[in-house]
Amino acid sequence: MAISDLLGGFADAITPVNLFFALLGVVLGTAVGVLPGIGPSMTVALLLPATFVLEPTAALIMFAGIYYGGMYGGSTTSILLNTPGESASIMTALEGNKMAKAGRGSAALATAAIGSFVAGTIATLLLALVAPTLVDLAIGVTTADYFALAVLAFVAVATVLGSSPLRGLASLCLGLYLGLVGTDVLTGQERFTLGVPQLSDGIDVVVVAVALFAVGESLYVASRLRKGSVQVIDHKGSWMTREDLRRSWKPWLRGTALGFPFGVMPAGGAEIPTFLSYATEKKLTRHPEEFGKGAIEGVAGPEAANNASAAGVLVPLLTLGIPTSATAAIILAAFQGYGIQPGPTLLTTEGPLVWALIASLFIGNVMLIVLNLPLVGLWVKLLKIPRPYLYAGILLFASLGSFAVNADPLDLVILLVLGLLGFAMRRFGWPVAPAVIGLILGPIAETNLRRALAISDGDLGVLVDTWFSRVVLLLALLALVVPVVLRAVRGRRATPEEVAREQEEDREVQKAANREGWGA
Amino acid sequence: MNESEESVAAEVAPQPRTGFPGELVGAVLLAALGVYLLVDAGAIAIPNSSNTIGPRFFPYAVGGLTLATGALLAIRVLRGDRGPADDSEDVDLTAPTDWRAVAVIAVAFAAHALLINVVGWPLAVALMFAAVAWALGAVGVVRPFLVGLVVGCVVWIVFVKALSVALPGGVVLEFLTSWF
Repeated sequence: MAISDLLGGFADAITPVNLFFALLGVVLGTAVGVLPGIGPSMTVALLLPATFVLEPTAALIMFAGIYYGGMYGGSTTSILLNTPGESASIMTALEGNKMAKAGRGSAALATAAIGSFVAGTIATLLLALVAPTLVDLAIGVTTADYFALAVLAFVAVATVLGSSPLRGLASLCLGLYLGLVGTDVLTGQERFTLGVPQLSDGIDVVVVAVALFAVGESLYVASRLRKGSVQVIDHKGSWMTREDLRRSWKPWLRGTALGFPFGVMPAGGAEIPTFLSYATEKKLTRHPEEFGKGAIEGVAGPEAANNASAAGVLVPLLTLGIPTSATAAIILAAFQGYGIQPGPTLLTTEGPLVWALIASLFIGNVMLIVLNLPLVGLWVKLLKIPRPYLYAGILLFASLGSFAVNADPLDLVILLVLGLLGFAMRRFGWPVAPAVIGLILGPIAETNLRRALAISDGDLGVLVDTWFSRVVLLLALLALVVPVVLRAVRGRRATPEEVAREQEEDREVQKAANREGWGA
Repeated sequence: MNESEESVAAEVAPQPRTGFPGELVGAVLLAALGVYLLVDAGAIAIPNSSNTIGPRFFPYAVGGLTLATGALLAIRVLRGDRGPADDSEDVDLTAPTDWRAVAVIAVAFAAHALLINVVGWPLAVALMFAAVAWALGAVGVVRPFLVGLVVGCVVWIVFVKALSVALPGGVVLEFLTSWF
């Protein structure tokens, strides 16, 4: 059963060589994730090529470390950097940053790290328990059901992420288009290759992800670089007092309970559960006066939710082969790079590999809690890297990763073109994640749709033949229609007066910040 | 409110969003991409063996969705809807766009792509590194170049010699390291 399989996974993962790769992944993942402007998705995309030279087990073990390490690194950045702003850990930043400014940075780092560990461990355990059960259910899933799931993931990711559903759809369309370029799998026909021979293999996922995340971000930061010296807040104070622990443990558990199920659902990963966790803790706290000024519950809960959802995302990925976040899409690409297609048969065909991966998630988690707090001085140094060198370095590694895939300079030209696209998307407020998910999931959706219709001899009724597909497609329809209806009912999204009032509030906050000398 | 606070408020006030919306270009280009997909999908050859929906169907669907999304977004933008520009740790949303930096980086990156097979990856990437750092306000160009060159060479040695990744090193570096 699951437990003995998991123990087998541990046996595979606890060899000196594999432990070394787990450690390497954890340290690299945290170090890159700490760098400002680099979220978990970009960490995974930038480091993916480094794992390609390894054999699959070692690569996936290293990948597990990178994945969790990137999450840890992101929270350190948002707590210690004077200017928070990354979307997945924005809730951590809200209170954590205030705590650091109030001289309680160490406690904020500690509750984030321990909360991540608790949530990561519980959620990984849930993953190990849920995955085999879900696989049993998924064996009966038809190609039409898969198509329905993909549609739901498209709609959810496009409408949930970002500022407006239409902009999410725009990003999704770009991803679907990029996914179409290349040779059609079923008939071998070239599509949209513009006669360029290199494009007949399709555009490499690594190139797209690195372009949209790393190159796009670098260009965007360059266009509006925050001037002045980098200010890192001192991490002062005791790590964690008894009082801090007493106030933290419940938020950790509640955050985990929120984060895991949201990660499992195709709703774009960590953003919603971290937000919900923050709102919950704000409501339940006995210290409401501290919220907005550095309440430890506001760090503990969202940080746990963030990490629990990271493990939850792996459930649909490993059992169905459906990525529900940008990071998951890149991990799926990593599997495909080894000729492994995640799906219901994965646990039977590649069982030892998957269990070694899950065991490595546990191991990586332990390594992170042991390494992270003692190494915080090193992370602070990374945060202080002068920005010209930092972004030049990011582009250097972007070049390395994309060139190493095929050793073809054309990939670097594509990288630049798509990087400029990523730059434009950031300016327009188009979320990047739907594009990456569309790129990966588009071909999966098409293949399943065509297989389903081939079986039914072109009868479209096959798409709503099972209850499963009916429910899933209905959910997708609701996800698409409800926001539009809500907006119609409530009138426009925000009246000009509301916008003006919000801006006024923002200005007040900024003014207060400047008065106390935090501003740039 | 005293004088200094007033100046602070003026300083952090968001940029007035007047002028031509760049997003309109994006939306129109997206719609154009949709048209391209719809037109070019008709040119995909259909082999006789495919009995149901062939390789054209999905491109048609994506093209239609893209065209519709682009058109709707263009209308929204014309009506005054603006997407909020992305926030990030190192981004100052109130700063005017530094197009010069973007242009320098784009040109430097394109140049390094073309130079790799000529002078080798380490040197090409060091030149790119120096140009990017300079565009972002680093002092001098010699130090960024040397930093880029050292990082490039170290990375090249690790990836090529230890991990056997295919990466052209350039004549000098390949000669110097040919003994191991």
